[in-house]
Amino acid sequence: MFERILQMLIKEFLELKRDKWARFRLIAPPLIQMLVFGYAATFEVYHVPTVVLDRDHTLESRELISRFAFSDRFRIVRVAATDAEVENAIDRSDAALAIVVHAGFAQLLRKGQSAPLQVIVDGTNSNTALIALGYLNEVVAQYSQDYTFDLIRRGIGGAGGKMVQVTLEPRPWYNPDLNGRWFFVPGVVGSLTLVVVVSLTASAIVREREIGTLEQIMVTPIRPVEYILGKTAPFFLIGLAQVALVALFGTLWFQIPFVGNPLILLLGTCLFLLSTLGLGLLISTLAKTEQQAFAASFFVLNPAFILSGFSFPIASMPQAMQWLTYLDPLRYYLVVIRATFLKGVGLDALWPDLLGMAVLGVVLLAISVLRFRKSLD
Amino acid sequence: MRLRRLQAIAVKEVLQIWRDPISLMIALLMPFMQMILLGYGVSLDVKHLPVCVFDREASQNSQALLKRFQASEYFSIVAGFDNYRDVGRALDRGLCRLAVVVPTDFSERLSDTGTSAVQALVDATDDNTANIAIGYAQAVVTGFSSTVLIEASALAGSTVAALQPIAAQSRVWFNEDLESRNFIIPGVVALVMALVGAQLTSLTISREWERGTMELLVSTPVTPMELMLGKLLPYFAIGLLDAVFCLAFAVFWFDVPFRGTLATLFFTTSLFLIVVLGIGYLISTAIRRQVGAAQIGLLVTLLPTTLLSGFAFPIDQMPPAVQAVTFVVFARYYVTILKAVFLKGSGILDLTAPILAMIVYAGVVAFLAARAFRKRLD
Amino acid sequence: MTGTIETPVVAERLVKRFGSFAAVDDVSFRIARGEIVGFLGPNGAGKSTIIRMLCGLLRPSEGRARVAGFDVALEPERVRENIGYMSQKFSLYTDLTVAENLRFFGGIYRVPRAVLPERIGFAVAMAGLTQRENMLVSTLAGGWKQRLALGCAILHRPPILFLDEPTSGVDPESRRRFWDLIHDLSADGVTVLVSTHYMDEAEYCNRVALIDRGRLIEMASPGALKRHTLGGDLLAVECEGMGAAMAALHEAPGVQDVAAFGNSIHILVESAGAALAALPDYLAGRGVAVTRIEQIKPTIEDIFVQMIGAEARAEGPQP
Repeated sequence: MFERILQMLIKEFLELKRDKWARFRLIAPPLIQMLVFGYAATFEVYHVPTVVLDRDHTLESRELISRFAFSDRFRIVRVAATDAEVENAIDRSDAALAIVVHAGFAQLLRKGQSAPLQVIVDGTNSNTALIALGYLNEVVAQYSQDYTFDLIRRGIGGAGGKMVQVTLEPRPWYNPDLNGRWFFVPGVVGSLTLVVVVSLTASAIVREREIGTLEQIMVTPIRPVEYILGKTAPFFLIGLAQVALVALFGTLWFQIPFVGNPLILLLGTCLFLLSTLGLGLLISTLAKTEQQAFAASFFVLNPAFILSGFSFPIASMPQAMQWLTYLDPLRYYLVVIRATFLKGVGLDALWPDLLGMAVLGVVLLAISVLRFRKSLD
Repeated sequence: MRLRRLQAIAVKEVLQIWRDPISLMIALLMPFMQMILLGYGVSLDVKHLPVCVFDREASQNSQALLKRFQASEYFSIVAGFDNYRDVGRALDRGLCRLAVVVPTDFSERLSDTGTSAVQALVDATDDNTANIAIGYAQAVVTGFSSTVLIEASALAGSTVAALQPIAAQSRVWFNEDLESRNFIIPGVVALVMALVGAQLTSLTISREWERGTMELLVSTPVTPMELMLGKLLPYFAIGLLDAVFCLAFAVFWFDVPFRGTLATLFFTTSLFLIVVLGIGYLISTAIRRQVGAAQIGLLVTLLPTTLLSGFAFPIDQMPPAVQAVTFVVFARYYVTILKAVFLKGSGILDLTAPILAMIVYAGVVAFLAARAFRKRLD
Repeated sequence: MTGTIETPVVAERLVKRFGSFAAVDDVSFRIARGEIVGFLGPNGAGKSTIIRMLCGLLRPSEGRARVAGFDVALEPERVRENIGYMSQKFSLYTDLTVAENLRFFGGIYRVPRAVLPERIGFAVAMAGLTQRENMLVSTLAGGWKQRLALGCAILHRPPILFLDEPTSGVDPESRRRFWDLIHDLSADGVTVLVSTHYMDEAEYCNRVALIDRGRLIEMASPGALKRHTLGGDLLAVECEGMGAAMAALHEAPGVQDVAAFGNSIHILVESAGAALAALPDYLAGRGVAVTRIEQIKPTIEDIFVQMIGAEARAEGPQP
């Protein structure tokens, strides 16, 4: 039995070796995607283009505005003189944020009263808007606090009271610099492998069916299971190679740390590949032409990609969709990958996800093999 | 250019599309599926983030602070621990994404030195959520801090009444609820258009080569331009149909505000379709093996569209080198236009820059595509 | 117009190289109006390549050709307006019906709308597909498909037809029907160039061009070819153990050439009478039991084989 599988493996690799195009397709897209995701995919917010309008022209107003100017989260692109200019800037997307200090600002502050600050934010990109507002509030809060302490220290409005404040010390775990790349790049490993393995597996078998060589092979003493194993083994190896390639690239080029146990990653990868192969196989039993296989792959891969938590958190999805994600092997694999790269946790934390992939893999493979057998009769 | 030949090609293409259920499914089902998936699945809003607490002081003060966390709609306290190890494990396992730790001498320090710190351990694997969570947590603590300050000052006889001297009054334009969906869904329409176009047209030429019908077709007087236009016209119609569908779905199902005009939408969508279809066609003529063509088609359109078009990841936050690359991503212009038309109500005059870019793009692609097709076997 | 050109197809020293391999090597011929010319030769001889060059689908590496008076390399589009083409692989649209295919090609060739229905009717009748116009082409059997493809090629009444192995894989009955159609067309003045690897179809042509390994070996009418003296008499031998028989015959006296032809062996002998007398015993002596041995008239195939053999011998030993 192993002899036959080995023969198939050799045949597949020979075909692959001759197909230069296939080699290109296996190496180039992963690397390109890595680079692009690594550099393009970011939700960080820096240098938010801001327009300011100071109608107060006091020490306080200038002090406040300078805090924004010195923060690298904001970039003052224009100092406006009229309200119309401010609105224009936002409308034309020259600025995403507008800060307007009205006349009388400092006066209110000196009297110990609340002074309003007008802020306009372009909500077209709500994510950046939210984050930008957060930073803005930080700057404002800091200035407020400093000002209040100053007041109290100088004993204004009563006997010199004590400054009291509660602060928050954020301690980011696993990703101390909140580096976006550390989040995405490990994820790229998984999503790429999913796409490659599923589409390769699906089209490979279908192509043989289309050309007719499938019939030829079935006439030989080979058994369906052996055929499937032999056919999918190369893709399994290719999948492993891709994961290794991308993981290596990620650690070397983007300097993403790897603090976990590589063996766990290996185990997770094998289980993941099992389920992706199962998926590809299932598609191959459903499609009659290569074109259909490709379309079907796409139908399956796109939702798998989106529902996996790759870039959009699963927790933010509606409940029904969250349940759907349990059917997605990539979802589990992303947890495993991110955990082994950044968290360094062990089996005790990851076993549910590993189990999930194992179950999915077994079920998918079982269904595919059964269908495959039936299709031959 | 003979209309008769063009017509013959177009009629044939329509018949073939009609008889190919897969193509039909792609054309009709995919937009629907995409809209649902992306519309619901794509959300960057952070709500009910699981939080666990480790209150080492357990005083009235600390309880008051933690109550504020509970009260916030952004957080949801799921567990309380009494030791660091359990907290660590909870974070490791993903049971909670944020852990608030109140030190043992919280109140003491406050009365002594006037400053006390509360720790927030954040799972920063997902840096975006972490950022947002920290921002919210900061707000909660700041609010608490102000109250404490006011109370203490009042006790000392101070009349500093302002809770916070500076009250930032923020108004959000265009997307008042800051619903991420509102800004993502217009981009979804772009994504859908790009995918459908790429899928269908990138196969059309290579399919004929593989089946052998192209050899016969090439021996006839049909010109490359007639062939291209005849083949693409049906897909253009399908694309417009899909656009109408997506628009309706976005507005009536997802309640995304639409403040622009239909004329602007129609014009810009047509332009975009020309580009997408042209590119798919180019790919199809360049690569004769079908699967290779389709995969390349997908690579060329899907990847740039999702990543570099500004659909989800803001372009102005990318490194300058990558920003430069996005100028080549045709989807980028369409996404900008769509968002502006939907949320800002921009008209054609407001959008001259991206529209011009798309016109140039469409022209170049059309020119290349017509020339790329060679009526020869070698 | 173009229909009045006396030699609508002219090839002058055509060469086509793919890399260093010459698929067509210095081929020249002229075809007269209304002629049916058959290109005969084994698979890979270069027949399709020649036809594709004449259609403008491949550019000649060397040499020139003029079809309907237009140079195939310089004005391929004018050429295409005046030809009908059937490619080797069946290339109609299998997901379209008979009628839809015909209408499509009618549109492509811009057959005037007033005339198109009649032309389509003619094509349908010619193919024998009346009452089946709305069937999907994928459901048709081989012979029907071939005739339909021919119908699509003649909708616009082209003066010249290039048919590349139109009868491949088609049953003999359908093949005969097909050739009847070609004859009808030729009678109407259409010039037809047909390639085939069925040697017996040579009889149907006005002239036959023998192609082997890119070279035009001989071009003549079937009759002239058959009158070509083989330089001896031809005998057919049938027996058990053909291998042993052939070995024995090679050494037999008076035998000039031995070739296997299906179940029998054709041998070229100096004198039929002498051979018929001597060979049976000679073979029996070698342990070969002869079931049949008689003189036969040479067919085109015999002549072809001998010509190819002669060409090969003239070239000398191959590397």
